[in-house]
Amino acid sequence: MERIKYQGFNVIILILSGIAITYIAYPLATILTFVEPSKLLDSLTRPQIWDAFVLSLISATISTLLLSLFGIPLAYFLARHTTNFPGKFFLRVIIIIPLVLPPLASGVLLLGVFSPNSPLGQAFPGVEFTQSILGVIIAQTYVASPFMILASQAAFESVDESYEKIARVLGKTRLETFFMILLPLAKTGIILGIIMSWVRAVGELGATIMMAYNPHTISIQIFEDNSIGGLRQAVPGIILVILLSILAIIMFYIITRKKARHGVLKIGGA
Amino acid sequence: MIGPTGSGKTTVLNLIAGLLEPDNGSILMDGLDITSLPVEARKIGYTFQNPSLFPHLNVYENIIFGLTKKNRKNDNNDLQITRLLNDLGISHLTSRNIQELSGGEMQKISLARMLVTKPKIMLMDEPLAHLDSPNKRRLRLDLRRVLKRQSISTIYVTHFEDDVYALADSVSILQNGVIEKTGRLESILAANPNPSSFLSNIFSGGNYLEGKVVNSKNGVSTFKVGSHLLETLGDYSVDSKLGILVRPEDIILSKEMVKTSARNVVKAKVTNITKQSNSAVADIHLVVDRFRIRSRITEESRTDLGIKEDDYIFAIFKASSPQVVREEDS
Repeated sequence: MERIKYQGFNVIILILSGIAITYIAYPLATILTFVEPSKLLDSLTRPQIWDAFVLSLISATISTLLLSLFGIPLAYFLARHTTNFPGKFFLRVIIIIPLVLPPLASGVLLLGVFSPNSPLGQAFPGVEFTQSILGVIIAQTYVASPFMILASQAAFESVDESYEKIARVLGKTRLETFFMILLPLAKTGIILGIIMSWVRAVGELGATIMMAYNPHTISIQIFEDNSIGGLRQAVPGIILVILLSILAIIMFYIITRKKARHGVLKIGGA
Repeated sequence: MIGPTGSGKTTVLNLIAGLLEPDNGSILMDGLDITSLPVEARKIGYTFQNPSLFPHLNVYENIIFGLTKKNRKNDNNDLQITRLLNDLGISHLTSRNIQELSGGEMQKISLARMLVTKPKIMLMDEPLAHLDSPNKRRLRLDLRRVLKRQSISTIYVTHFEDDVYALADSVSILQNGVIEKTGRLESILAANPNPSSFLSNIFSGGNYLEGKVVNSKNGVSTFKVGSHLLETLGDYSVDSKLGILVRPEDIILSKEMVKTSARNVVKAKVTNITKQSNSAVADIHLVVDRFRIRSRITEESRTDLGIKEDDYIFAIFKASSPQVVREEDS
């Protein structure tokens, strides 16, 4: 009787998991039904598609660089300097705002900060914060920020503080300790954060629609193509982002495999 | 520094190292006020209970981590480092990966890592805590030898009494964040013959005797303590200095001189008898020449034998009773 109960549990898990996996993977298969191989190459090299794609790659890269420059230090601060900090929880809540806010709402808020009529827009009338590549970067950076910060924070927190203490006892300054000990040991988590931020930036749509409908990012291009010509027209753009996603998945896989083998060890015991 | 868990031993070390800031007061080292110096400027060494070798560096890189670029190029330093590694018995490990090491090897490497920076003072927080017994005793002897040879003042924190006898020149007794006593080992032992004081929980003062080996044959070594010859199991080189511990429970008392299988018999005088109320055992404090020992027997036996202060009595223990905690070439 007991045996059947255990097996029953396994079966339920398998069924539910199977449904979930199918749900995730199957839509990828539908693209095949819409691809006409002969027309594919032509549609892929349509100038608008290519411009949008390149714009997305460049802007996502710049956004990710900005997030690294500002987000990683913030993650370090949160991981190491907020144990007794009074505003700790407050800070941690603020960081996830771009994550929980619907992207369109984020876009509207960003317009409030950067539109030509805003204080900032009026202070710098010559700079086009919106409807420009700068606007794309602002939007992408905002929505992708939680990915960078949280991943880096988790990576720093996973490193035993003993290592840094020992480095300091051995005469290294806080700065040297950060670069020689903490960063190398947190490397894997931070790289994952960089990849996720970059992918999120490329896939960004809602905030970009508000901040910079033009020039088109690849996401907006797909959106527009679909509005005009349906799925058939959107196919080329979709294929490009799928290829990009596969690349990201491969990098993800390579990096997490390396981490499993040479992961950070907590050494103890005889 | 000995004290029970929670007495603040690690806190003291962290304050000296600068990893903790004091609420008030100051820390002086060699007369210099280091209270406001950052950790990296204090020139101290500190090994934790967990060796915490840097996982992303190999053994050699771990050891030289604290050396500045200038120091690394120095040939004289190279020689000193090689000597230190040989002394610790770890020179064969330099190209190994961290993952392949045993607990004792890791502790030695973490010590080497600190010693190469030539700190003014070495702090050690229960370095042997995570090791199993046989390795612990061996490593403990190595530690004292290496630290003495390097001439580095060391504060060694522990809650095990036998570590004190094995390693200490001086002892500090810590309880509830307060240092109850500090002094040379001999004076602490001499001053505290009464184990029912509050210190007995952490430092009851077992019987510690030091002597020089005069003979070693058939697995039994004879050593001289004062004018007495005592025997212990083990092959120790003649002229080496031994420090031994004998538990009070292992000392048998006899009114008459009897021939038993026990190798050690000394005539002693009873100085003091102490007993906790409701306890079945009593502590008989004895003096033999200039050294003091304590025997623990049942109150029943004490009354049967009629032992009282100022009596002369024979203290007996087997050659297998002593635990050798110190072994040094004279």
